[in-house]
Amino acid sequence: MSGKRALALNPKDNIAVAVENIQAAEEITVQTRGGESRSIRAVQNIPFGFKVALENIPEGQFVFKYGETIGRASRDIKIGEEVHIHNIKGVRVQGKGEKGERS
Amino acid sequence: MSFLGYPRANGTAGIRNDVLVIPGGLVASKICDFVNGARTILTADSGSGRTKRDRETIARVLVGLGKNPNVAGVIVHGISLGSGYPELKPEALAAQIAETGKPVEVISSKQYPDVLHVIERGIRVAREMVRDASHIRREPFENGKLSIGVKCGRSDSTSGIAGNPVMGYLFDRIVESGGNAFFGETTEIIGAEHLLSKRAVSDEVAREIIRVTREIEERAKSCGEDIRTINPVPSNIAGGISTLEEKSLGAIEKAGTKLIQGVLKYAEAPRGKGLYFVDNWMSQLSIFLGYAAAGSTLTFYQVGGGGLLEDTLLSPSPTGVTPIVWTTANPNTFRAAGESIDFYSGTVIEGKETIEQAGERLFALVQQIASGSLTKTETINFQDPAQVYLLDSPF
Repeated sequence: MSGKRALALNPKDNIAVAVENIQAAEEITVQTRGGESRSIRAVQNIPFGFKVALENIPEGQFVFKYGETIGRASRDIKIGEEVHIHNIKGVRVQGKGEKGERS
Repeated sequence: MSFLGYPRANGTAGIRNDVLVIPGGLVASKICDFVNGARTILTADSGSGRTKRDRETIARVLVGLGKNPNVAGVIVHGISLGSGYPELKPEALAAQIAETGKPVEVISSKQYPDVLHVIERGIRVAREMVRDASHIRREPFENGKLSIGVKCGRSDSTSGIAGNPVMGYLFDRIVESGGNAFFGETTEIIGAEHLLSKRAVSDEVAREIIRVTREIEERAKSCGEDIRTINPVPSNIAGGISTLEEKSLGAIEKAGTKLIQGVLKYAEAPRGKGLYFVDNWMSQLSIFLGYAAAGSTLTFYQVGGGGLLEDTLLSPSPTGVTPIVWTTANPNTFRAAGESIDFYSGTVIEGKETIEQAGERLFALVQQIASGSLTKTETINFQDPAQVYLLDSPF
């Protein structure tokens, strides 16, 4: 098995968690709980513990981890890109504060 | 499998054998300074100017702590408690604690000319109680006599994929053994409450899980602040957690897979055995105090720390009477804070152990600690102030 390791916790997930520091353009071996693995390529650095997209996720689409939604893409996300607060948003408890409009 | 614990008159088993002096403050601290084996809690809130609901919470904490099986005997003194409110009268607290059958003594300030005499009397009583407690021998108990509570903190992505699932395995083992297991932190089930409610033992309990989640969500909105600027906290984000839902889904992994028997208020003792959700606040200064008051004899702090772990020497328990077992699955945290961390589950991420194998290793450690082995932070002579989780404004 070559490539840096990332874990997908549920077959439904469209992201995986890097369990090593991954450099841009490196191959990532994505292991799914349950055993199977596949390869994708990182398009940017993904630090240990951070998420990488396993498929293209268009803006507005749900992001799945643990087989559950953790938010929506706030812009188009490409396969192999890092997934974090710059490109996903939670959908719960939306009060003021979105887009800098804090009171 | 079993552990060696201290038998108590009401059939419970302690894993430690301390004398407790309450309420916290000058008198209790001076008694504890003088007497080996006497402990107290450091809390600022006396109940003065608090609503009835909050005063009752303070009383519940003090009574629950006194009843805790780790406590062999209790001294309740009458100084620095909330201005004579009936629910906080020392005699009322002592009478409830005495239902356990353990020795309880009230030292009323009215009987003595001044505070120094109260302290002197306290020292005499505490020394006697400590010696009496030392005559109690540990004996074997089934693991069903254990009662544990967990908090996860400084969460990062290792928490959800390894640290919390390993804790969840321990929770399942304790529940299978017939013990009690508590988890909580209501803000941190937002986005995962639908999964927890499916695990409720009854429709009523399921509705209660949804109700407390909605209530905290509404309270957050009513502050006019976006809770996402509070939670996930900056260290979560720096550790790879992006949204509150993601944090919650990782957080509930620590609760294992068993049925949830009920939803408890802060510091409320359960009516039965098994897994309970506690509607509490995440702060480490508050949550462990609540678990101890609900009867937990051993508590767990599962940390991520991948984001902003600045304190690499972690704190002992603020409850005085319940040890904390610190765990992590983050290799960097374990390297930096290993002086305080009792258990490492990053082996699961490294592919060296399964969740079950790491969980069994943790279960074995729990039985050692329950039998008297010290946790790493029990060797530190320091106590954080403890904060009772109060819901209303002070007046």
